[in-house]
Amino acid sequence: MQRRKFLSLGAVAAAATVLPASLSATDFRKTAPAAWEAASSAEAIKALFGDAKMIDGKIKIKAPKLAENGGAVPIGMKSKVEVESVALFQDANPRSAVVVFELGESGVFDLKTKIKMRKTANVTVVAKGRDGKLYSAVQKVEVSIGGCGG
Amino acid sequence: MKVKAKLKKGNVSVKVLAKSPMAGKEEAEKKKIKVEFITHMTAKVNGKIVWEASTGPFLSKNPYMQFTFNAEKAGAKKGDKVEVDWVDSNGKTAKKSKAIK
Repeated sequence: MQRRKFLSLGAVAAAATVLPASLSATDFRKTAPAAWEAASSAEAIKALFGDAKMIDGKIKIKAPKLAENGGAVPIGMKSKVEVESVALFQDANPRSAVVVFELGESGVFDLKTKIKMRKTANVTVVAKGRDGKLYSAVQKVEVSIGGCGG
Repeated sequence: MKVKAKLKKGNVSVKVLAKSPMAGKEEAEKKKIKVEFITHMTAKVNGKIVWEASTGPFLSKNPYMQFTFNAEKAGAKKGDKVEVDWVDSNGKTAKKSKAIK
């Protein structure tokens, strides 16, 4: 292969690896700092995933409709879609982004965690599929006792 | 930190209970404690990363995590160790490994 051609191929490959497909310990707090400062889910999602269209109805959020303890609200998220990253947002705290998961090639999209919510708000999950498409789901969670510092 | 890993129907499900106050700026001020929350967690099997999480202070105190991976694709079998580590906002790290049951 000609050297020039080879180099230009390298440049294309480098451009394609902005969001790495293979796992190599990406810290999204470092790669997308703006997303962690955003107050609303919409802003945080835009900072992390851009403006692309979201596909609804593929992700299932398992969260209580009414959470009694806002200090630890269990949130489950699940889908048959093969994804490389999953991000969780809420509008109940000063900043929206909670956690961004990255799954290896062996990863199954079946995640669970517990979050703080100091008031009733929407919880949004956005996932980036291995097909490059974005998937999202929203669920409202009512909180009877706030959890942030409570 | 507590870690449990179980192989069932070809998938390994891992449960992690980390220990951290997960106090962000506002909460630390209110409670008069220092800002301290886990910022990044990683899980490896046989040296290969199977799961990662970049985290913020709005996870619950002593955050709980559950995730699943395909044993065959990860090249993991019963008895192999799942190794979980994390780093927090102050640079403190913790590590724990547990054999897959």
